[in-house]
Amino acid sequence: MKRLAILCRLCLGLVIFVLVLEVCARIDDVVSYDAPFWGSYNDEILLRQDSIGKWGRPGARYAKWQLNSLGYRGPELRPGSIRIVTVGASETFGLYEAPGQEYPRQLERGLNSWSGKDTFQIVNVAFAGETLPTSILRVPEIVEEIHPSYALIYPDLSSYIWMSVKTETHTASESSAPNASRTRATFDSRLAGRVGNVLKQALPSAVQNALRRVSMRREIASRHYVVLERLPEDRVGRFRQDLRTLIAALRAHGVEPVLVTHATVFSKPLAKSDHVPLTTWRKIYPMLKEEGFLDMEQRMNDVIRQTAADEHVPLIDADRQMPHGPKYFADMVHFTTVGAGIMASILADGLEPLLNSQLQKTADGQPADGERPTTGLSQQ
Amino acid sequence: MSSQALLYIIVLPVAWLLLWPLKSTRSRQALLLVTSYALYASWGLKFLGLLICSSVLNYGLGISLRRKQSVARLWLGIVLNVALLGTFKYLPAMAHLLPHSSLSTSFANIALPAGISFWTFQALSYLFDLYREEELDPSLLEFLLYMAFWPTVLSGPICRLSSLLPQFREILKPAAENIRHGFDRICIGLFMTALGQLLGGGLHAGQGIDGIFDGSTRGLTGPDVWCLAIGYGFELFFNFAGYTHIVIGAAYLFGFRLDENFDRPYLSTTPSEFWTRWHMSLSFWIRDYLFLPLVMLRREAWWRSLALVVSMVVFGLWHKGALLFALWGLYQGILLVLHRQWRQLQRRYEWQLPQAIMGPLSWIVTFGAICLGWVFFRARSVTQAFTMLRAAADLNKYASRTLPANLFLLVAALVLGYFGTIGSQRLLRKYSGGLTVPLEVRFALYSVAVYVGVFHMAQTQAFIYFQF
Repeated sequence: MKRLAILCRLCLGLVIFVLVLEVCARIDDVVSYDAPFWGSYNDEILLRQDSIGKWGRPGARYAKWQLNSLGYRGPELRPGSIRIVTVGASETFGLYEAPGQEYPRQLERGLNSWSGKDTFQIVNVAFAGETLPTSILRVPEIVEEIHPSYALIYPDLSSYIWMSVKTETHTASESSAPNASRTRATFDSRLAGRVGNVLKQALPSAVQNALRRVSMRREIASRHYVVLERLPEDRVGRFRQDLRTLIAALRAHGVEPVLVTHATVFSKPLAKSDHVPLTTWRKIYPMLKEEGFLDMEQRMNDVIRQTAADEHVPLIDADRQMPHGPKYFADMVHFTTVGAGIMASILADGLEPLLNSQLQKTADGQPADGERPTTGLSQQ
Repeated sequence: MSSQALLYIIVLPVAWLLLWPLKSTRSRQALLLVTSYALYASWGLKFLGLLICSSVLNYGLGISLRRKQSVARLWLGIVLNVALLGTFKYLPAMAHLLPHSSLSTSFANIALPAGISFWTFQALSYLFDLYREEELDPSLLEFLLYMAFWPTVLSGPICRLSSLLPQFREILKPAAENIRHGFDRICIGLFMTALGQLLGGGLHAGQGIDGIFDGSTRGLTGPDVWCLAIGYGFELFFNFAGYTHIVIGAAYLFGFRLDENFDRPYLSTTPSEFWTRWHMSLSFWIRDYLFLPLVMLRREAWWRSLALVVSMVVFGLWHKGALLFALWGLYQGILLVLHRQWRQLQRRYEWQLPQAIMGPLSWIVTFGAICLGWVFFRARSVTQAFTMLRAAADLNKYASRTLPANLFLLVAALVLGYFGTIGSQRLLRKYSGGLTVPLEVRFALYSVAVYVGVFHMAQTQAFIYFQF
């Protein structure tokens, strides 16, 4: 009887142990991020749904991510500045960088330091999971709200892998990327996420890679994916078409586009350390083989270069200029704080010659806010 | 959390469950040795090979010393152990003094095996004890376990075989008291380590003690230097004493009692007292195997003082072969000598202040002097250390501060909190005979400690003494 009582108290103790851990996680969220104690707390609170798709919720905050009153990551709009919007997906929105260190913010600081005053404002209109087709639809809204002079286009390429699957399978469940939709649980444990992160840090990369491969094989089997050796040409063609449409849409609204090629962690040729991020990438998109990713990056970057030449759009070749490796990329494509700094300086170097004439006009007394560039950049 | 920490969390409960059904001491020792080697191997297989070689070599030297206690055999053991330590610890630090060549590059790239300073000193203490005719007769298995024992192998406490051997030979049983005490110590350790990290990292990025020491320290004022010195003294204390709590607690879970390493050192009222309360296992090692043999060589007072200074310089160099650590040791040695001289003067002239004045005054002087010494321990360069000490000595620089106010507040809060906790513990013991915590509350406290320790502590470098 005494043993049973001890056992019961130990079980109760364990329940208390887990409950207190959950309470600690919630208090941590309240103290660190001003999060609500009750209810679920995840990145969904950053987003709202409209007729086009998911979009930033004005003033929302989740962990280190803070949106302004228009629903964009970064500070409020500053009157009188020359505005440059950064169009893209999670690489541009910023995932792993310290707050305020994502490349649009670092670029803004770099350009203002170059110009000697707070002339420029970079408005980060990117979101995780944003695709070129949705960016095209957003152009009128963005222009109306921000009145940008330039748009830096750093497109997400992986969404075209997913599109190809969508086209082949035509199922509702596969119509969006795996991370984009999330079923809402009745109880959202904040401890579980933290335990997952700790395990991710602690498990040796070889073990994590093996687990990823198992999970990838399971997903391929359960979803009956046709595994592609390389991205079909029609997807690359679709990307080309989307780029051209976006450029036309921006120009129609008087915004000058600047194209940026897509940089990755992978060295050319591949380094030994590249196999881990390559498998991580494959796990997210199991329908395309590893070699197919690298091939896709190369072909789509060629499309960006070719489109820039055909459409007379200024090009910044980040793919060729960015150094590779884990110091600069936290995973396959997302920057570390250091990487975002390098990216910002590459972009600043590319933009400065274009912005010189804009600065000259501002110095001549013409208003910058909402101004349309007529510098003939499109003829370059 | 690091891979190694995860491995410890998985392996130790398994080893704990497997240990108790084993009935013979040999099988228990074998299990503990396999566990220790498995855990140590996670820091590098080559390091494990080195540890085994050193263990076997010292066991052989021990047999030789047991057969015939000769100075030559003892010196052979000392030279071999110091050579091993020197190769891995001091040669890379001195490589830059050699002319640039492939050899100097190779020396510079020698990796430091985890815990080599600790287990080499354990091996040396075994040889010294044998030479002093202590009754030590470990089997090879017992000696291998002594050298690789998982709670102590990485960062001490530096145990003596005479204290561990009887415990290795005992058939221990799982006792509720040991388990409770073990978890208590682990939780205290986790809290302390987290506090140390808070001091190091600061409330805002780059505004902690480490960030400021690693950045530019030009233009610091007197209050800034004191804030950094006291802050680092507590960061180091919370970190190392926290780590020691964790390993002593973990050993308790398995029924082992390790030597204590800290005994509220910042309550000391003299430098001599401080060194009987701070990193006690190393301090006593230096006293027993270096200072006392040295001091026996001559009777003169100056020799005693010199022996004190030499011992403390060795104490400093044990941490790292760097000028700053030698200077830190020298500073501590001089403090000890000054304290001795002061006491002699007091006796000679019969100066006697009332204890109510003398006690607090001694504490303030000791606390200040010890804390100021940490500048040598933490500075990045000799220039930085002396720049900081000059700022502390410049009374004209005491009117302002350059460090953020939140760092001053953090240091003050943690220092006062620490002394407040000690004071309240004493009061509790005095008036209520100690606090009895119900099991459920205990689990809740463990939970908070685990949360703080696991989710708020950074990587392996969380423990400062791992670098030594």
